[in-house]
Formats: sequence, structure tokens, C-alpha cells
Amino acid sequence: MNAPREDRRCLAFLVLAVVPLAGCGGSQNALAPESHQARDIATLFWWMMGGAWVGLGLVVGLLLWSWKRRNRRGFGRDVEGDKPGEKRSWYAVVVLGIVMPIAVISTLFVVSDLFVIKTTQAPASTTTKLTVQVIGHQWWWEVRYPGTTAVTANELHIPARTPVRVEVKTADVIHSFWVPELNRKIDTIPGRSNVVELDADQVGRYRGQCAEFCGLQHAHMAMYVFVDEPSAFRRWLAQQEKPVEAPSSALAERGARLFLDGPCSSCHAIRGTDADGYVGPDLTHVASRATLGALTVSNTPDDLRQWILHSQQAKPGNQMPDFNASGARLDALVAFLEGLK
Amino acid sequence: MSGYSVPQSQVGRPTAWWGMTILIASEATLFGTFIGTYYYLRFKTPTWPPGGIPEPKLVVPLVMLAVLVSTTVPMRLAATAARTGRLAATRLLIAVALVVQSGYFAYEVHDFSDQLHRFDITRNAYSSIYYTLLGADHAHVLLGVLFNLWLLGKLARGFTRYRIHAVQAIAWYWLAVNVLTIAVIGTLLSARA
Amino acid sequence: MAIATPPTPAAAERMERLEQIWESRPGILGWLTTTDHKRIGLLYFWTTLALFGAGGAEALLIRTQLAQPNQHVVSPQTFDELFSMHGITMIFFFIIPMTTGAFGNYLLPLLLGARDMAFPRMNALSYWIFLASAIFIYTSLFIGKAPNAGWFNYVPLASKQFNPGHNIDFYCLGIIFNSIASTLTAGQFIVTIFKSRAPGMSLNRMPLFCFAMLAASFGLLFALPALSADTTFLFLDRNVGTHFFDASHGGSALLWQHLFWIFGHPEVYILIVPAFGIATSIIPAFTQRRLVAFPLVAVAELLVVFVGFGVWAHHMYAVGMTTISMIFFAAATAMVVIPSTIQVFAWCMSFITGFARFKTPLLFIAGFIFMFVTGGLTGIMFVAIPFDQQVTDTYFIVAHFHYIIFGAAVFPIFGGMYYWFPKVTGKLYFERPGQISFWIIFVGTNLLFFPMHIVGLLGMTRRVSTYPSGLGWTAYNLAETIGGFVTLAGILLLLGNLFVSYFRGPPAGPDPWHGPTLEWTTSSPPPEYDFAVIPRVTSAYANWDPVDREADRLNLADGLLMLEHGHEQPTVTPVDGRLAEIAQMPHESPWPPVLALALALVFTMLLIGLYGVAGIMGLVCLLALAGWHSQEPPE
Repeated sequence: MNAPREDRRCLAFLVLAVVPLAGCGGSQNALAPESHQARDIATLFWWMMGGAWVGLGLVVGLLLWSWKRRNRRGFGRDVEGDKPGEKRSWYAVVVLGIVMPIAVISTLFVVSDLFVIKTTQAPASTTTKLTVQVIGHQWWWEVRYPGTTAVTANELHIPARTPVRVEVKTADVIHSFWVPELNRKIDTIPGRSNVVELDADQVGRYRGQCAEFCGLQHAHMAMYVFVDEPSAFRRWLAQQEKPVEAPSSALAERGARLFLDGPCSSCHAIRGTDADGYVGPDLTHVASRATLGALTVSNTPDDLRQWILHSQQAKPGNQMPDFNASGARLDALVAFLEGLK
Repeated sequence: MSGYSVPQSQVGRPTAWWGMTILIASEATLFGTFIGTYYYLRFKTPTWPPGGIPEPKLVVPLVMLAVLVSTTVPMRLAATAARTGRLAATRLLIAVALVVQSGYFAYEVHDFSDQLHRFDITRNAYSSIYYTLLGADHAHVLLGVLFNLWLLGKLARGFTRYRIHAVQAIAWYWLAVNVLTIAVIGTLLSARA
Repeated sequence: MAIATPPTPAAAERMERLEQIWESRPGILGWLTTTDHKRIGLLYFWTTLALFGAGGAEALLIRTQLAQPNQHVVSPQTFDELFSMHGITMIFFFIIPMTTGAFGNYLLPLLLGARDMAFPRMNALSYWIFLASAIFIYTSLFIGKAPNAGWFNYVPLASKQFNPGHNIDFYCLGIIFNSIASTLTAGQFIVTIFKSRAPGMSLNRMPLFCFAMLAASFGLLFALPALSADTTFLFLDRNVGTHFFDASHGGSALLWQHLFWIFGHPEVYILIVPAFGIATSIIPAFTQRRLVAFPLVAVAELLVVFVGFGVWAHHMYAVGMTTISMIFFAAATAMVVIPSTIQVFAWCMSFITGFARFKTPLLFIAGFIFMFVTGGLTGIMFVAIPFDQQVTDTYFIVAHFHYIIFGAAVFPIFGGMYYWFPKVTGKLYFERPGQISFWIIFVGTNLLFFPMHIVGLLGMTRRVSTYPSGLGWTAYNLAETIGGFVTLAGILLLLGNLFVSYFRGPPAGPDPWHGPTLEWTTSSPPPEYDFAVIPRVTSAYANWDPVDREADRLNLADGLLMLEHGHEQPTVTPVDGRLAEIAQMPHESPWPPVLALALALVFTMLLIGLYGVAGIMGLVCLLALAGWHSQEPPE
């Protein structure tokens, strides 16, 4: 992952920040950019941080200078009319307090708001090959691929080295879609649709999280962006488009009936069946996902079982009630869901 | 003897006038926010007024506005009369203004409830800001009416410096309320444009 | 030198008479009916200090919950209420009332050479309303219905649909209630500054502290109505069924954000500008030097608030605005830097060219400059829109505004507590523990807030009630929590030092620092009439003008300019400070607390939905006002 450069930056940060920095190259790290947008922003930050240390150094230097001159004679004498160094001080204030900031900030303004900003702007619709819709819900992400039937949740697959237009909306309150290693964040606002571009350099898995406080489980509203090779992405999308396949075992068959006749189907949809609820995520290919509950727990049969029984413990306040099922029924349900590859 | 040579005539505005200026500045900013909200909502809505609400009437509100604004004259004159110590004239001018203002307020309350029957405040964002603006303005007229009632009560027992300052401050309040009413009615009538 | 003892028997007799005229009633009743700006300032001080304790306790609970990943110290509901109340408390119920209500009330007349505020009863009213609003909003926490959508309370999360309880109604009403108190204070200060100065104090001879208070007051006066309108709309949306913020009925969720930040950004300057005023009082005293570039600093203090009104949308770069409007707000944000840098370098140059004595107050000001510059430099970074869009709503922002709010507002408050302690109590504090308390607080706050920059860049979003391990956030969060408790220790040492000094401290005398401004010319603590003789003023550093102070002494001996015939206060022309009249000031009134109580009932009735009763209580308020005005000053 571009290691030497990252290391150098980590080192710079370590030296400048004085505090040791654990976890450079972590999975939600704005300073480990994996796209040209995020890289531009990170570069901008490193320059600004350099400038900020110089500015802070200047002021600290002045304060230390006055510390060095502390207790010099003259204290306590009548200060009427006595303004030592008045003229030079005025010049210093005008130069350091007016001229210097105007120069520095104009430069920053021009560089960042006239040039860098172009890379993070919402893309024009003609410049992207793929559009993905992301819809924020309390507290999970719905992901749709317009022009296909694919619907998934809490994970977004995109092809590498391909500009992707992400349209974000909300089903309820304001959320904010943010995958820091790929681009800046964008809010989901009721009644409108916002756009942000993702254009990842490398295949990999990137963590994102809702950045705007959206209620009780704001902390558990994360997502993964999987960047695949274009061919792998096309295979994945084709698989996601398929409706559900017939259950492969008697146990799963029983689970399917439980799902469709029970409370599950009133909130969840499974394409190819009668289940068409819209409160919770579409589960047509739930077994293909890495996590449950928007990255609250991983998606293993055991976790799934616990999630069905006790989701209110793992994610209190989420819309899914704890499902009180006996062992045999639960086995069937888990077998069915695990088959939804 | 204080050691100060105090000016004989009033120098500058009394503190009460300054206090009223602060109140007016605060209220004017509040109305500015309401009016800003009105246009913010308007410019994001394709048809205005939306949702089949009829356009506001033109003639009657303008006539009523003129009636209210005309009370600026007796209120200003009352302030001048108070400063020069003419008690009877002050009382009379305030009473005249009060009668007109009360009539205006009574009509507007009637009209307000009348309009509520035609389209409710809960209809949409237009009705929300429409009634909020209008209601806030009427509330300020009511406050002015109460001010004048209180003033007349005070002046029944003659002038003091405190009461003269009160007349000046309240005349200033009425000028501001009249200007705010022009702004509010102008904003609401702009829906016809 | 200060006038502490009467020079002649005749003067003693006149001072005795002043004492009788201005004396407060004894006991509780005296505090309830007081209109003395010093007593009101002290009431504000103790109340806001208690609220600071509450807000601090909330902060430490938040930090304890976040010390380690996946903890369950508090439930998510409680966490949301804690961080919402922490923000609301620190901003509306600690810093504004502490800097304006406590410091401003106590000091403004003393620095202006006045005997009281322009509207003493209104001043009392503002305190009682403030107290009632604090009790009102804290009731919500005790009944488990505290505001839970953050201090900026975005809709639709705060709408009835997603937040059906009374939590947000407490927010709306509590904020409106509180802003009445702040508006009264702001108006009070503006009129006092323009009208109640000592004759001779033209605006260019006014201390910078007063310019800062003037700037903050203008800010409050013109910013609060936007907040009141916004919260009124929300209250109507929730309880009457209007659709201001409802996108499905022509409303707009972004309207809330615009109106909120039109208030919210000036608010930031309202928080720190009075603290600048404290700094510009302490620096001349401990460098024994008139502040460098006085006129530039005075203009900068006013300008920073003025430009602050044009930058609100930089809080909203992630909502999908058009690029051109973002660039406009970025340019305004860039401009607001200049008045701040002017002040920073004027302070630094005063440090260098003066005769600095690093006693505790000046240490706090040096610390304040360090913290303010650090927070300001990260603030400048938000001129860069793409970077802002990357880090907004992360801990980087949390770090930034805590450097500003704790560093640039609370540090000067602590410095000011030490600086004016001798004036208020007549005792000196102990210097060594004072300096130690500074260093503990300085180290603690940096340990608390600096790692937040890093953890924010590492992707930690704000307002999360917990976080997973494995993202590199754990060590920083633990450091922050430790920093929080270190800061607590420093603050406890500070308060303990002042507490012990109050009883054991050596006597301070009227002017222990050779301070520059008029409060140091009168005794410590000041008499109820503030000044025996209305002081003569010919510069902004009046206590350093020996000729004028000698004139005061002669006037006292001769019984001139003492105004000992009633509650008298000279008023002046607003700009050049010529005498306009000798005004009779009101004294003691039972009506302010009565009116505040009636208002509290209005808001309580609105909360529980009894609008008719609320209307009746509104009439009671008007009757109380009429009763208030039945007391007229003597002719």
C-alpha cells in the first residue's frame, strides 16, 4: 500500500506531532489515501500542517523571548507616557498580523478553493461509467445499482481505477457518507440527492462510517467499500442481480418457510420470494456479506444466530426485535440465510 | 452641590430611548430572520403560494396598513408635546392613536381567524411562515396597544421625567412597529408578484 | 494610588451618607431584590461555576465511556444526552454567562467609572431569568428527558417523527428562555457602555475590556434572534404541526442549519471576544505597558464579530452546496483571520516590549495565546474547502473547537479569576499553588485535546457512543481521558487555592498589581457605590494617570463630584463622553425575580402543552412589568 511514502509521512507526523502515531495505514485513515481525491486532500493537509507548525513556532518563539526578558528592570515605575519600542511594535503587528496572514491565506485560498476543490467536486454525469445509489437509514446503508436489480446493504462494491458516481439519499434523517481513504464526505439530506465520486486506485477493502450524528446507533453505522478488479466486479454484480435460488436442503427449506410466514418478511425483502419488506436490508444475498448490522458483528453462522436472538444487545434500539426462536427453528432459519450466497 | 455643571436642556437621547432601541434592534433582527425564511422557502418552491392556497388579497391589507401607519403622526406629535410639557395634548394624541390602533388590531384578529378557516397553518411550509409572520406582527401591535394603555394610565397622574422618557420611547416603538408592519405586509403581498 | 480612606472628616461624613444611600438590605432578601451589579455578578459567578461543574462532569463521563473501545459505562441514550447537555451547558450556561454575566457585570461599571449599570433592575432580571432557564433545562436531565440531538440539534433527527419525547421541547424552550437573559445582558451592556461612562471617558479612552464586551454584546443582540426564530419554528413544527423543516411539505431541513449557524458562528466569537477583553486587561497590568497598537486591537475586536456574521455556511460544506457559494463563505472565513492575527501579535509584542512578570494571571494568558493560536491555525485549515469536507464531523473538529473554547475562552476566565480575586475579596491568592495549577491545567488540556486531531484524521467521527478496536484509535482515546482527569485536578487545585486564600490570604489592598484601569482606584472589595468620587478620566489607562488620581483625591477632600444626595449616576453623550445629565438610578426591586418566576411558568406550561395557562401566565408577566414600573425614581 504505497508503503515507503506512508512511512515517511508517518515519520514526519511523528516528529512534528511529538506524540507517537499508531496505525498509519489503518482502514479509515484520511492520511492513507487510496484515490487521487483523497491524496490531494492529504497532500493539502501536510502542507497546511507544516505551515501551522511554523506559525505556532513563531508565536511560541515570541512568548519564549518575552520569558527570557521577564523580570527586566522597569517594572513598577510609573508608566505614564512610557511606551517602550512602540513604533517597532506597531510595525511588527502590521507585518505579522496583517501582511503575513493576507499573503499566506490568499495562497491557501487560491490553491485549495480554486484548484484542489475541482478534484473533490461532484462529478458531471458524463464523466463516470457507473452510478451507485446509497440510501442512509437509521442505522444502516442501502446500496442500489441503477439499471440492475442488485440491492445490497452496508457494503459497496466498485471496480478499481474507474470513476464511480455515488448518489446519496436518506430514508429518514441526515446521515453523512464518508470513506476517508477514497474521498471527502457528503451528507444525505431529506428531499434531495447529493453526489460524490469514488475512484479507487487499488483493489482492497476500505472502511466508511456515517459522519453526521443520526441518533442512538450512530456509532454502529459503518460500511465497507470493496474495490475489485473490473472483471471480478462484473462477476459480483451479475451474482447480486440474480434472484434467490431454491433452498438446497430440507433444513433450509424449513427455514425459508419460517422466514416467509414469520415476522422476518414484513421487514426484509428477498428477491424471488414474497418477502418484500423495506424496513431492514434486502437479504437476497445476505450470506455474501462480510458483516451484519452495518459492521456491528461479523457474518458467521454463530454471529447470525446471536444476531437473530439478541440484536438488541449488540445494537440497542435498532429496528429489529429480538427473535425468540427455539433451537430447531433457529437452525433452520440460519441454514436458509446462510444459503443466500 | 455636585461639582458638575449639568446641562439645562436634554443632551442627546434619554437612556430609556436607548433601551427601546435595543429592543427594536433585537425584534427587527427577528423579523429579518422570519422574512429571510419566507424567501428561502419561496425560492425553493416552484409555485408560490403552493398547494392551491389563494394569493393574499391586495386592497384591504393595504388600506389597513395605511390606517396603522397613519398613527405614527399622533405618536410623534405626542412625543414632542411631552418634551415641551403639554400634558393635555400628550394625553389626547395618545388616546387618538390608541383608538385607531385598537380598531386595527380588532379587525386583524378577526381577519386572521377568518383566513385560518380557509387554509390551516398546518397545510404546508407556506402557510406555516405566512401565519407566523402575520401573527408575530399582530403580537407587536398588541404590545404597542398595551404600552399606550399603560401610558395613559400613568399620565392620568401627571408628568414626571420618567414618564416623559416613556412617551418618547413608546413613540419610537410605534414607529418601528409600523415600519416592521410595512415590511411584513410587503413580504406577504409579494406572493402576488 | 487608590482612594481607600477619606482624607478629611467632611469627606468621611459624605462617604457615610453614600454608604447609607447605596446599602443593600441584609440577608437573603437583600440578594433577591438586589440591583447592585457586583452582587449580580457574584450570583452569576457562583451559578455558572456550578453549571461548569455539571458540564465538566458530563465531559468526564463521556471521556470515561470512550477511554476504551466497546465499553458500556453509559447506555447510548445516556451518552447522547450527555454530549448534548455538555455542549449546551458549556456554551449557553457557562461561558456566555460567565464572561458577560459574571465578569462583565462585576467589572464593566468599575472599568467605566460608573456606579451601576444603565438598567439595574433589568440586570437583576437577566440573572433571575438565566437561573430559571438553567433550572428548567437541567430538570430535563434529572427526569431523563434531556436534549439528545446534540447542541446544534439538526432536523429531522430533532423532529417529532424521530424524537417523540419531550427532550427536544426542553431544548427549544430552554434555549429561547436562556436567550432572553442573554439579550437583556447584551442590551444592558451596550447602553451602559454608551451612556454610563465617567464623564471625560470618550470612546478612545475606554479600556479594551469594554470594547470586547461591546463587541460581544452586539454579537449576542444580532445573533440570538436567528436562534430564537429557529427554535420557535422547531417548536411549532413539533407541537402545532407546521412544516418549516419538513421537506415533504415544502419545508427544508437545511433551513434549520442555515438559521442555526447564522447564530452559531457569531456565537463562537461571542464566546472568545470577552475573553480577549480579559486578556487585554491582564497583559498591561503584568507587563506594565500600554497594549501595543491599541486602536488596531479595539477595531479588531469589533471587526471579528462583524465579519463573523458572514461565515456561517462553512459549517455546512458537506451538505452539497454549490461550489460558488462555498467559495464565497471560504473567502469570508479567510478574512476573519486578520482581526485575530492582529490581536495575537499585539499581545505578543506587548509581552516582549513590556516588563513581563509571569505571575499566575499572565501565565494563563500566555497559555491562552498558545491554545488560541493552535486552535486558530487548525481553523485556518477550514478555509480549504476540500480539507474541511474531509475532516468535518470528526474528532479533528472537536479538537479544533476545544482549543478555541477551552483554550481561548476558559483559560482567560481562569486568569481573570486570579487577576480580579484580590479586587473582589480583598485578599491575595497564593502564588505558588496558582502557578502549579496553571501548569497542571495546561498539560492536562493539551493531553486531552491534542490527540483528538490525530484520532480525527485517523477517521474517528464525533458523537459516537463507542468505537471498535483495531482502527488505531484506542491509545489516543485513553490519553485524552487521562488528560481530562489531569485537567480536573488542575481546576480543583485552582478552586482550592482561591477558597483557602479567601480565608487565609494576606490582605490585598486596593491595588496589588499596579493595575491600569479604574477598578484598581477603589477599595477591595469595592464599596456598594463603587467610587466615592466620580473619577476623572483622560486616558484608557486611568489608574496610571497620577494627575487625575490626585484630582480625585482633592475632589474627595472638597466633597466635589460625590453625588451623595441620592442614587445618582452621571450619564454621558455616547461618543465623546460629555456629561448629559445626572440620572436617578432605581434601587432594590422585588419585581425581577417575580417576573422571572412568571416567565418560568410560561415556559413550563408551553412544555406540558397547556397553552391557555401559558397565555394567562403571560398576562401575569405583563402585570409584573406594570408593577415594576410603578416604582419611579424620585424627581
